[in-house]
Amino acid sequence: MRDMGTLLEQLTSTFDGVRARLDDDGRMRLEAEKESVMSLLSFLRDSGFDFLQMVSCVDWIDRGSMELVYVLSSYPSTDGGSGDLLYCILKVELPRDRARTVSVIPLYECAEPYEREIHELFGVDFHGHPRLTPLLLEREYPVPPFRKDFDTRKYVSDFFDSIPPVEEEGGAQ
Amino acid sequence: MDRNQLVKWLESPAKMGHKYSLHAVYFCTGCGIIEVPPSITARWDAERFGVLPSASPRHANLFLITGYVSVKTLRAIIQTYDQMPEPKYAVGFGSCPINGGMYWDSYNTIKHLDKYIPIDGWIAGCMPRPEAIFVAVTHLWTLIDKDMADGYKRYRKHYAAYRANQEKALPGLDWPPLFPLEGSE
Amino acid sequence: MRELELYFGPQHLGMVGNFSITLQVEGDRVVKADANPGFLHRGFEKLMEQRSWIKNFPMVCRMNVVEPDSMEMIYAMGVEKLAGIEVPERAQFVRSIYLELARVGSHLFGLWAYANMLGFDTVAQWAMYHRDLVLDLFEELTGGRVYHIYIWPGGVRRDFPAGFEKRMVETLHSIGGCVPDYDDTFFNNSLFRSRASGVGTVTREQALRMGGSGQVLRATGVPFDVRKAEPYAAYSSVPWEVPTREKGDAYSRIWVVRDEMIESVHMIFKLLDSMPGGSVYTRIPNPFKWRIPEGDAYVRCESSRGELGLYLVSDGGDKPYRAHFRTPSYPHGLTVLEHALEGANISDVGNIMISLYVVAPEIDR
Repeated sequence: MRDMGTLLEQLTSTFDGVRARLDDDGRMRLEAEKESVMSLLSFLRDSGFDFLQMVSCVDWIDRGSMELVYVLSSYPSTDGGSGDLLYCILKVELPRDRARTVSVIPLYECAEPYEREIHELFGVDFHGHPRLTPLLLEREYPVPPFRKDFDTRKYVSDFFDSIPPVEEEGGAQ
Repeated sequence: MDRNQLVKWLESPAKMGHKYSLHAVYFCTGCGIIEVPPSITARWDAERFGVLPSASPRHANLFLITGYVSVKTLRAIIQTYDQMPEPKYAVGFGSCPINGGMYWDSYNTIKHLDKYIPIDGWIAGCMPRPEAIFVAVTHLWTLIDKDMADGYKRYRKHYAAYRANQEKALPGLDWPPLFPLEGSE
Repeated sequence: MRELELYFGPQHLGMVGNFSITLQVEGDRVVKADANPGFLHRGFEKLMEQRSWIKNFPMVCRMNVVEPDSMEMIYAMGVEKLAGIEVPERAQFVRSIYLELARVGSHLFGLWAYANMLGFDTVAQWAMYHRDLVLDLFEELTGGRVYHIYIWPGGVRRDFPAGFEKRMVETLHSIGGCVPDYDDTFFNNSLFRSRASGVGTVTREQALRMGGSGQVLRATGVPFDVRKAEPYAAYSSVPWEVPTREKGDAYSRIWVVRDEMIESVHMIFKLLDSMPGGSVYTRIPNPFKWRIPEGDAYVRCESSRGELGLYLVSDGGDKPYRAHFRTPSYPHGLTVLEHALEGANISDVGNIMISLYVVAPEIDR
């Protein structure tokens, strides 16, 4: 496995517009444009990041952007060698009103449910995803519920509290 | 069994049958299900009280709604409750079905379960202990004795109102009404 | 032959947890499986954004009812990393012992589910009784049987009560004394072997490709364990082994679970022997006015099912800006399960699902 410093230099020289730094705890932090996600992730996968731990999404409503977060790491080598594990957090900003990007399933198969969930809860579109059908929710919500402008308390008082109790007197003991 | 009990038993053998053979539907609706395996296995042994899990809702007469009810589960709960033969008793287990519990501001859990199906009793707490299940069962016995566990009768009587609430919570409720809607309130 | 669509769950005897799988079957062979989660979705991560840092501790443990303790741990680790809180050494040991005890309880619950599923009712009764003994220890230590809320940022809520260590050792010895019985009746039983071996095989390549961890990966011979790879709490201060198996089928996975339970008990004994003295918590700022500096962090720990991760973002306020849990059941229950069920027999669906150790509330959150 390569050492993180050289990997960092290689990254910044190969890709334009990638901001990379090394954290105090040895984790690599990358920020990239959405156009370079595929090439960047395939480069990272080939350099040993074979474990996509999660895909997350943060709604920065004040900045007007959605931030996709890919958390990458590596499995220990299966032949018993004990190389240091690699850690990387890749962030990609998308405009909040047109949040769409390309799906990374061709590179990491395990991204499928994460992207499906983010599509449902944040309304981010993933181009090339085989099934963006609802995963968790049953009802439809006015805005995707994990966006910051969705107020759950207001929704609860508007919707659940508007359903009347069935029996005024009597009822359960 | 003293004389009074014997007389009572002779008067209503069916009621005694319902009391002492409460067969619970095997349906893990929420996190409260974690206390059900201990209560039906060796240490707490719910069979002492005649409570057994039952594979099919069509063979069951007790429905323990264990924990929070999300909107998606509500659909399954209503379908299961409708499938159970009468007389049937529904017991809400844990604080979440009572009023939402700690998910009072969640957009995806329903807050008052008794707006959608009739409930015969509640077990409060998060998480209620196995003993609480047994207390609830003995209370349910008393209610059955006094004809007060009448949830299924109320369901029939107010079916139109229940069905209206169910339709509000679940868009596109795609099964026909269980009872004719005209006769009920 | 005609293809049929079969709904497996949520109300189904072979289903542990509120989860559903839509199966396309031809005869009794599964052609395609569609996992259908969401029956337990409460929107935890959204609710956490509306509660202050300290109020989220009772929330996070409800995310996984079988093993709530690793959930407390991962959230405490995230908060400590963002806020830069140091944990005293004794608290690290107490946390490790507590987490290993939780792992034993969780594995016994898994053993109950699995033995019950296969019809080994005797073993199921034993496992559930032994889990109850572990829960009694938790009740003495924390006051709660299922939800404990014991780990706080900066340590744990209280030290072990007097005599607790002795009672814990006694209980673990009495459970450990039954391991030969378990082996004779269940693990070495030829009925169990023929029922479970070769079922639900996940190869090493598949497990690595689909983000597997925990037993799913260790049953294929990869000794991957977060406690070894990135030690937290006190796991680096005592020697211990990562049990593995080679085949990758249901049989190997359950054997890994068994070996892990024994390893955990041994680890508790070693930790108790080398336990340092001192305080079990550091003072944190007033939790009602607690603001955590801006930043984000990914932390991970090993729950009883695999890698548990948390991506936590703070915007400098008194509440988390965003929390996202990477739960082990999420890839196991969606990607791996759908794959392992293809071509399986209908009667093996529950078998495969429970051997993958899928806990539904973890998926839905």
